[in-house]
Amino acid sequence: MELNANAFGRNSRKALLDKTLQEALGRTTGRFQAHRDAAVAAFPEFEATRERASRIKRDVLDHLDTYLARFIEEAEKRGAVVHVARGPGQAREIAARIARDEGVTLAVKSKSMASEEISFNEALQGAGVTVVESDLGEFIIQLAGEAPSHIIAPAVHKTREQISRLFERHLGEPRTDSIPELVAMARRHLRAKFLSAGMGVSGGNFLVADTGSVVIVTNEGNGRMGTVLPRVHLAVVGIEKVIPRLADLPTFLRLLPRSASGQTISSYVSIVTGARRAGDPEGPERTHILLLDCGRSAILEGKYREILKCVRCAACLNACPVYQSVGGHAYGWVYSGPIGAVLTPLLVGLPEAAALPDASTLCGACADVCPVKIPLPDFLLELRSDAREQGLKAPGEIAAMKGYAGVMKRAGLLEAIERIAGVLGQFFTKGKGIAGLPYPFSGWTERRDFPVPAARPFRKRWKIQRGVTR
Amino acid sequence: MDPKEPIPVSLFFTCLADAFSPGVCTATVEVLERFGAAVSVPLSQTCCGQPAFNSGNRKEARAMARKFLLSFPDDGYIVTPSGSCAAMVKHGYPVLFRDEPRTLTRARAVGERIFELSQFLVDVLGVTDPKSDFSGKVTYHDSCHLRRGLGVVSAPRKLLRAIPGVEFVEMEESDRCCGFGGVFSLKYPRISCKMTERKVERILATGASYVTSGDLGCLLSIGGLISRVGYPVKAIHLAEILVGKTGGLSSFAADAASVEPRPPGTVRWAGGR
Ligand code: SF4
Repeated sequence: MELNANAFGRNSRKALLDKTLQEALGRTTGRFQAHRDAAVAAFPEFEATRERASRIKRDVLDHLDTYLARFIEEAEKRGAVVHVARGPGQAREIAARIARDEGVTLAVKSKSMASEEISFNEALQGAGVTVVESDLGEFIIQLAGEAPSHIIAPAVHKTREQISRLFERHLGEPRTDSIPELVAMARRHLRAKFLSAGMGVSGGNFLVADTGSVVIVTNEGNGRMGTVLPRVHLAVVGIEKVIPRLADLPTFLRLLPRSASGQTISSYVSIVTGARRAGDPEGPERTHILLLDCGRSAILEGKYREILKCVRCAACLNACPVYQSVGGHAYGWVYSGPIGAVLTPLLVGLPEAAALPDASTLCGACADVCPVKIPLPDFLLELRSDAREQGLKAPGEIAAMKGYAGVMKRAGLLEAIERIAGVLGQFFTKGKGIAGLPYPFSGWTERRDFPVPAARPFRKRWKIQRGVTR
Repeated sequence: MDPKEPIPVSLFFTCLADAFSPGVCTATVEVLERFGAAVSVPLSQTCCGQPAFNSGNRKEARAMARKFLLSFPDDGYIVTPSGSCAAMVKHGYPVLFRDEPRTLTRARAVGERIFELSQFLVDVLGVTDPKSDFSGKVTYHDSCHLRRGLGVVSAPRKLLRAIPGVEFVEMEESDRCCGFGGVFSLKYPRISCKMTERKVERILATGASYVTSGDLGCLLSIGGLISRVGYPVKAIHLAEILVGKTGGLSSFAADAASVEPRPPGTVRWAGGR
């Protein structure tokens, strides 16, 4: 997926003016959030489960090598072919090679953010393979030629009218505003693809070390069909998704759907273990697992390692007032919202995405809902500090901060400035709110007044009233 | 609540209140004195360094934090009418000084002694009745740093509910960010404003005449929007409600009875004259 994270400012302005997007955002994020809150309230063990999940994930990060080695060994023992890609380029090569070696010309893909990370579809198209998205949301945005804007609801930004128009244009279907009809149209179209595809591609929510299984959590049957019907199954998964034991899975399955959409459990949980064995009634002949490092082991070494605990539930997106205001595309890459604001700079390099950590008020709503207790606001702060240290801050900001600190180091100087500001303020505004601050503060007063500096600041008042001087 | 010994309290008045709303500082002193605190005001204090820290400029933030630590005495409580400034000292300083063990120890100790006003009144002084004669329909906005940073949720509500003349109404999404976010509102003013607009909608829906909060920053944004549009509601700091009208200091509160919409740009938000 193309990267334009540093255009967050421009992207977000566009998003704020997009009426349909604004409507869609209000509707969906609010609903997800309300369902999540209700589901958590009705689950008394939430806190304890969350604590346990966080602990398990931390243990995984402490021994990622060991768990991964175990996973690979167990998966291969059961007939899967495991590949590890260091970077996105290598991942694309491997994916294309698998498709070529397996003689695939059509692949059906279910939703996978990891595959977006490596521009999977483009890689396969380059190898002469047609890739059809089979998740309803992904299918819609593929027709529209767009990228997902939400981790679990990729087409959250589309209205049903827009979808119907897309289906009319690309599938020759009649216009309708009935959602069941739209779903039926997509299903009819996709059924045919499932039956003729040589390869099914999926993501993976968890990799189970002690059984070598890939666990896929979905709400649509497409995930299961893609792993069962085609001759070959390829799972594209980040290395951090490993969990130690199958026995740990229930902990995460209790948290993930509740945090994501407020469901007690998702409609489908597929545990794919190895390839089809003699006597198995169904399943692919060959199973490939493509493990993505793509910057993850570097993150593991540093101060942001806990970000790798993320289970991609999207609760932080739905809770984030900034995400709710501008939607996912503003973030300019695969991951959006608070998780994106932290993960994107870490995966693509801070210089490429330094605008994102600033795209937050640090309100902390994200950390409140994160089921694995990732300290997202702390990481945002830390990234902002890194940006300063790596020389990625605007010279104007640094100069302003230096000046500001210079004043604040001396109470006397501050008082003198306050006195001048007080006089000017009263003189120019005649006691009314300031309706237009000069650049670079002009944005602030576009639709808000700024208060007038007091003619007599508190320090001065106190000195006079109490007759104290120090 | 009638302690024999006066309780020594240093007021951390915050740079924002000092410059834009001195009435908030004065009200804070009055309320603290009402409940037996011996308030002193270290006059060499300036800013806690939050804007620099939150924007990643740690070098400057450290310089201000050092200045803060030197400005306040070694013992006694430190009370401030700002949840975010208290949270900065409590949680930000340990980050700033994590590689300086000696300063870190001092920062942690200061962090133990610092309280936001409503938290101090309720949790430390055990105030159940603020003895305020303020009257009007009031709704309360949870500032993010007060609620999530310091975990102060019930104290301000308890105090508001205990004022006989106050009709307290909860707004929807009271804990949702107002969009101010300090430097955020300068960097992304349009997103900030969009969030403030949603907040103000929720405020207006309560039909309250006043919206209050424990953070001046939020009131800056909320009040600024109210002022621009001329909505029939006033942004007022919690300290000013607690001190009540007899405090006689808050010009802000005194003329708050007039709730007529006025043309944009003509309504003064901050008190302080
Ligand atoms: S950071 Fe936490 S809340 Fe956000 S997607 Fe990841 S697990 Fe979910």
